[in-house]
Amino acid sequence: MLANIINKFEESFLSLLLVAMTLLVFSEVVLRFGFNTGIHWSQEVTLYSMAWFVLFGASYGVKVGAHIGVDSFVKLFPKKMRVAMGILSVSICIAYCVIFMIGAWNYLAKLKKISLEMEDLEIQRWMSESIIFLGFVFLLFRFLQLLIKIFKGEAEGFSHIDEAEESLELAAQIREEEQKDGGAK
Amino acid sequence: MESYVIPTLFFLLFFCMMIGVPVAVSLGFSSIVTILLFADDSLASIALKLFEALSEHYTFLAIPFFILSSAFLSTGGVARRIIDFAVDIVGHIRGGLAMAGVLACMLFAAVSGSSPATVAAIGAIVIVGMKRVGYPEKFAAGVISTAGTLGILIPPSIVMLVYAAATEVSAARMFMAGMLPGILMGVILMIAIYIYARIKGLPSSPFPGFKKIAKSGLIALGGLMLIFIVLGAIYGGIASPTEAAAVACVYAFFIAVFGYRDIGPLKNVPWGRKEGESRNDAINRNGQQILMALPKSIFDKEVQKVILDASKVSIMLLFVIGNAILFAHVLTTERIPHQIAEIIIQWGLPAWGFLLVVNLLLLIAGNFMEPSAILLIMAPILFPIATQLGIDPIHLGIIMVVNMEIGMITPPVGLNLFVISGITNKSMGWAISASLPWLLLLLFFLMLITFIPSISLIVPELFDKMHGYK
Repeated sequence: MLANIINKFEESFLSLLLVAMTLLVFSEVVLRFGFNTGIHWSQEVTLYSMAWFVLFGASYGVKVGAHIGVDSFVKLFPKKMRVAMGILSVSICIAYCVIFMIGAWNYLAKLKKISLEMEDLEIQRWMSESIIFLGFVFLLFRFLQLLIKIFKGEAEGFSHIDEAEESLELAAQIREEEQKDGGAK
Repeated sequence: MESYVIPTLFFLLFFCMMIGVPVAVSLGFSSIVTILLFADDSLASIALKLFEALSEHYTFLAIPFFILSSAFLSTGGVARRIIDFAVDIVGHIRGGLAMAGVLACMLFAAVSGSSPATVAAIGAIVIVGMKRVGYPEKFAAGVISTAGTLGILIPPSIVMLVYAAATEVSAARMFMAGMLPGILMGVILMIAIYIYARIKGLPSSPFPGFKKIAKSGLIALGGLMLIFIVLGAIYGGIASPTEAAAVACVYAFFIAVFGYRDIGPLKNVPWGRKEGESRNDAINRNGQQILMALPKSIFDKEVQKVILDASKVSIMLLFVIGNAILFAHVLTTERIPHQIAEIIIQWGLPAWGFLLVVNLLLLIAGNFMEPSAILLIMAPILFPIATQLGIDPIHLGIIMVVNMEIGMITPPVGLNLFVISGITNKSMGWAISASLPWLLLLLFFLMLITFIPSISLIVPELFDKMHGYK
């Protein structure tokens, strides 16, 4: 239940950010050509949205297996070795997260100390940039989850995105439509 | 100490990638460990660097926007309309259906920006059609898998945006540069098909008449307008790639949901008059339906799925780019490309020799990795070396893109091969041998591109002259 709510929230938030960025840039263009004017905070908000989009989305990407990686080498090995490599690679990811969390924390602390504000909006930068820390916390959480899964034997390692598989889904869909059309004729 | 920097960085990077760490983390981890060991940057400054990488480049926004706009238009319906148009144009020539396949791949690829999606969408329709009228299936499969690779060369191309992001070359100039090579490769493929068709006596269909061409052209134009909007805005110098891409997204949404009605609340609702409906009634009905559909489409499952899928792909790519910028930062501060360049100059390797080595390196890498990952790792290394040897960065970019194309049809990671073997239900071996003759053609094309820089540079230079710079 909770997992469902979180999932829905993650998906809506990410979609919303993408749509918002698109519409902001689009309206900038319309305003510039149609009315020779602009929104002064638009660019800054769009750029911060992109950072939030990517850093918040990175952990969602781990959950749904959307990250790209190389698996042709790992596949050469027997199962036991694959699991060992999986554990090692997730551990490296965890180390990566921890290092960045420390760095981000120090950075945000400095920002807070000198209380810098954003250029166009009256928002403290340590708040608007907090995703650099939060993003890695979420990412760490997803990596730990994956590690537990590997120990339980539910996963072998990262499942990387397979663009070919996705394209084949499109092909299957087209086939189906073709057959339907053929039947109708 | 100094001399351990390069081995540490590259050993960590390749070790991580080989054991299956995602490319983004491999890049970030190897960079950060190298920085911690050999440089005195603070952790806070590295975190800042990553945040800046993701929040200070307006040009990077073009990547999620193009991914979103192509997600709206990468549907079977758009593929079918483009194929109809292509068949009407070149179908009457001998071997015309195969040529139409190539043309459809070029057009669909420009709209969708993805090679495997092009092969899947066009291939699923055209290969069956070609088999039906008597083409050998192997020939059909080879043509489509090769023509599908043009997706990353013909602008707007996401791979080019990634190159631009990695090297800070102008994306608009990359888009101009890709145009001529893309069309040239398409023409080379069509000539090869024509010669083969003459020898084997392959069929042609009757000329459909200009009226039919105009009609199918008009229908296909709905999707193809996207290319004109984007390229027109960029070439005309009125909008940046990012702005053009945002406009393209909004346009693609309207065409997909309201124009073509392939997805969304109006799916399967006809445009034209129903039986017993007067013209005015039909106009009223359409008007009302469109007004109602606008709010409905926000909650529409299919529209939401398109946006979410585009988000996933964009996030993954931008996260790799963010980490790749850290990697590039390490490379530049440690002056690694300069060291390599000095060695190369000491060897007395000429520019063409360097390009030959680059091609070999990229062809090998292309067998194991994703195009965008290769570009992000290799471009920051090769770019400064090329500049020192007097090679134009745009030219280098086009060479890299063509290499990535070839990587799509060479095993073991050739995405197009997987797709071809999937849609024809044949083995990978079959798909490889089907693409082999065309692979040789692509290699020949790569040599043309490598050693005749003006193929890539003539169009951007022309625009420079027109706009009066230089």
